[in-house]
Amino acid sequence: MLSPVLKIILRRLAFGLLTLVVISVLVFAATQALPGDTATAILGKSATPERVKVLEKQLGLDRPLYEQYFSWVAGILRGDFGNSLVGTMLPVTQMIGRRLMNTLALMLIAALIDVPTALVLGSLSGRFRDGLFDGFVSVGSLTFAALPTFVIGIMLILAFATQILQILPAVSRIEPDASVWSQMDLLWLPALTLALASAPFAVRMLRGSMIEVLESDYVQMARLKGTPERLVLQRHALPNAIVPFIQVVALDLAWMIGGVVTVEYLFNFPGIGALLVSAVSDRDVPVIQALVLLIASAYVVFNLVADILTILVTPRLRTGLQ
Amino acid sequence: MSDQEGKPSFDLGKLGEIANSKRMTRRRMLQGAGAAGALVALGPFASACGGSQSGTSASPSGAAPKKGGHIRSGINGGNPKDSLDCHNSSINAGQKIEQTYESLLGWTPDRKLEVRLAESFPEISADGAEYTVRLKSGLTFHNGKSVTADDVVYSFRRMLDPKTLALARNHLTVISDIKKVDDLTVTFKLEKPDASFIEALAYSQSCIVPEGYERPKRPEDAIGTGPWKVTSFTPGEQVDYVANRDYWGVGPYADKLTMIEFTDSTAKLNALLGGSVDHLAMLETSQVPMVESSPGFSILKARTGGWDPFTMAIDLKPFNDVRVRQAFRLIVDRPQMIKQAFSGYAWVGSDMWAVFDPGYPKDLPQREQDLEQARSLLKQAGYDNDLTVVLNCSTATGPNDPNAAQVFAEQAKGAGVTVKVNKVDSGAYWSKGNYLSYPFAMSMWGTNSYLWLCKSMLFPTGPYWETHWKDEEWEKLVLEAYQTVDDDKRNELIKECQRIEYERGGHIVYEFHIMLDAHSDKLQGLVPDVFGAEGATNSRFNRMYFV
Repeated sequence: MLSPVLKIILRRLAFGLLTLVVISVLVFAATQALPGDTATAILGKSATPERVKVLEKQLGLDRPLYEQYFSWVAGILRGDFGNSLVGTMLPVTQMIGRRLMNTLALMLIAALIDVPTALVLGSLSGRFRDGLFDGFVSVGSLTFAALPTFVIGIMLILAFATQILQILPAVSRIEPDASVWSQMDLLWLPALTLALASAPFAVRMLRGSMIEVLESDYVQMARLKGTPERLVLQRHALPNAIVPFIQVVALDLAWMIGGVVTVEYLFNFPGIGALLVSAVSDRDVPVIQALVLLIASAYVVFNLVADILTILVTPRLRTGLQ
Repeated sequence: MSDQEGKPSFDLGKLGEIANSKRMTRRRMLQGAGAAGALVALGPFASACGGSQSGTSASPSGAAPKKGGHIRSGINGGNPKDSLDCHNSSINAGQKIEQTYESLLGWTPDRKLEVRLAESFPEISADGAEYTVRLKSGLTFHNGKSVTADDVVYSFRRMLDPKTLALARNHLTVISDIKKVDDLTVTFKLEKPDASFIEALAYSQSCIVPEGYERPKRPEDAIGTGPWKVTSFTPGEQVDYVANRDYWGVGPYADKLTMIEFTDSTAKLNALLGGSVDHLAMLETSQVPMVESSPGFSILKARTGGWDPFTMAIDLKPFNDVRVRQAFRLIVDRPQMIKQAFSGYAWVGSDMWAVFDPGYPKDLPQREQDLEQARSLLKQAGYDNDLTVVLNCSTATGPNDPNAAQVFAEQAKGAGVTVKVNKVDSGAYWSKGNYLSYPFAMSMWGTNSYLWLCKSMLFPTGPYWETHWKDEEWEKLVLEAYQTVDDDKRNELIKECQRIEYERGGHIVYEFHIMLDAHSDKLQGLVPDVFGAEGATNSRFNRMYFV
């Protein structure tokens, strides 16, 4: 049974790789098409023609475009992502590394809050549909779904950091010299913000599919056979209702890796989203490339994992493979 | 860049100071200077002009400020393009590098020239073309090496090398030779007399580094003489410093300093109110009520000479007609624009700049809106309700500037002019083919003195020739001013130059900035600074202390 799954994995990875190559070309082209150029962006108002020329030479930006692209590709193949073009010109891996760890830590905490909560709330509100509990969860999840992420963040800051209670830090400035795990208290508010922003969709999705599954013939059959309700839910309903939930969670996690700039700004959290924004404004191509590929890879990997999980929890698919 | 450095003020006592007011600065960066200095003597230029003691600094009661503590300051930033190279940091890194590096001269918060690494003001030869500077004796760099004439020579040669991309270079190319006279003395020979050269020595980016200095790769390579030594540098996030206990000047009182960069102003304010920082630079005007209603926090307000003008290229249609330029200046309802674009936190300008320069003509009438006259001037110029212009703007010049452009477009309707506001991406605003080619646009400048900025902005040879300014009468006067050693005479000439700009120049100068900082009441020693470009205190952290 593993080998067909393995085949799927390999095929998907190959497609993923192809996707990444296409993305790298597109991103490179897009950075060239943006108005302005790297040297001007770095020098700002002091970008006089002579200074731009000197800097472009120093940065190797006076070479033909294809040469710049292929020397970058050649670097990747050697495992060298190049150096940032701006400031201290740190290696890209060093620039991204710590921020990636921060982002991953944040995503993990957010997922640990988000997934179990959504799982419990979604399945129970589907089970007790139209009851008081369901009404409560529905209003709550629709409210949070309707609020922009930064509003949720500001409310949490007002509630827990500045105005009402002052038990958590208002900003999540991760000290550069210490591990992010030793600064856990800084992660709670941004993680909670992300969880509250993403959980409603998963809750609604799970509730919907739960309702559908509970009305299906096999659940009716199980109930008629006298299976205890808990077992009906655990054995028969949940495994079938969870497939769309897995897909939603996978997308949420990928979103948390790439798209949480608003949360990073709001909490002054040093993650990769804000780094990508400043890299784009500086036209810092090596950093843009590395980050976009990273985020794209996250989408590929999370989707792949979601599909595999889907196969594993779906008997029909699992057996159909053989 | 902002500025900094403190100078001896109370240690030496008030030796009285001779305020030499020379001017300088450049755009938003810009230097500043220390405070009250004990100054001493000056060369022929010396002369006191503006009087007034700069008795800022020191604690209110006169008691010595308490030592110790860790100052955490929230600043605008978040972009990793800074470096610790003091001669070529990005524009926004100024306030970070100025904690660590110093120039020969500097400025007090109320804009008087003062000595820093120099022992006294330079001796200037009678023809104004030779400057001799003597260093204080006993100065050391952060690595313990003493500061000598060789370091000064090396530093200026490094700035003059085009490969360094030094921001100061444009102001130093007038140097024809730098000579070491003895271990502590250096002579600068100039190609021609230049009354603004003394400001080049006070420019924050003309800092002195040890011989052999190169672009720092590690924090410990950032070696200067300033009050703070860099211990850790994470571009786009934060810089950590420890006090330089061998500092020759004022303070530092705190043991440690951390400057934390924020991309979002709400986060910066939350950090202050939540206790994660003690000070924040550049409070947004909309946040003032929030701070005022929070006990334990105060706001520091600084009137600066920074200005964000509208620029009209005087050789391009329709601005090649002086009547159109004057009409545009008369269109602006300045108080209304300040109210709408800056929530009232700016002070009104009158189409002249270098407002703190002793040569600023204070007697010319404040220019006010006069739509009648604007219409009639436009009519004389051949436009009858049918003039349409494009106004280029961007947040690159300042977050409020696109709003000001919109307000201008509204006000222009009153004179029958259609203004199309074109918002340009901030990454492209200064690029070739845009900046310097716009017929009508916006720009930004710091607290500059007249002769210092003229060179770069009003001459075709300068890098910032944004109004394409050319005027024979003006040019004759300004060139004479550069060669005039006598302060009073030179100031008269500058006044004439400004009057010409008032009558036919290409800038609409409607405001000068007011900068706001907020801080915890536990942090004291903050002084408003006319150079405030990146904050009302110009980042003089060496003077701040905890109570």
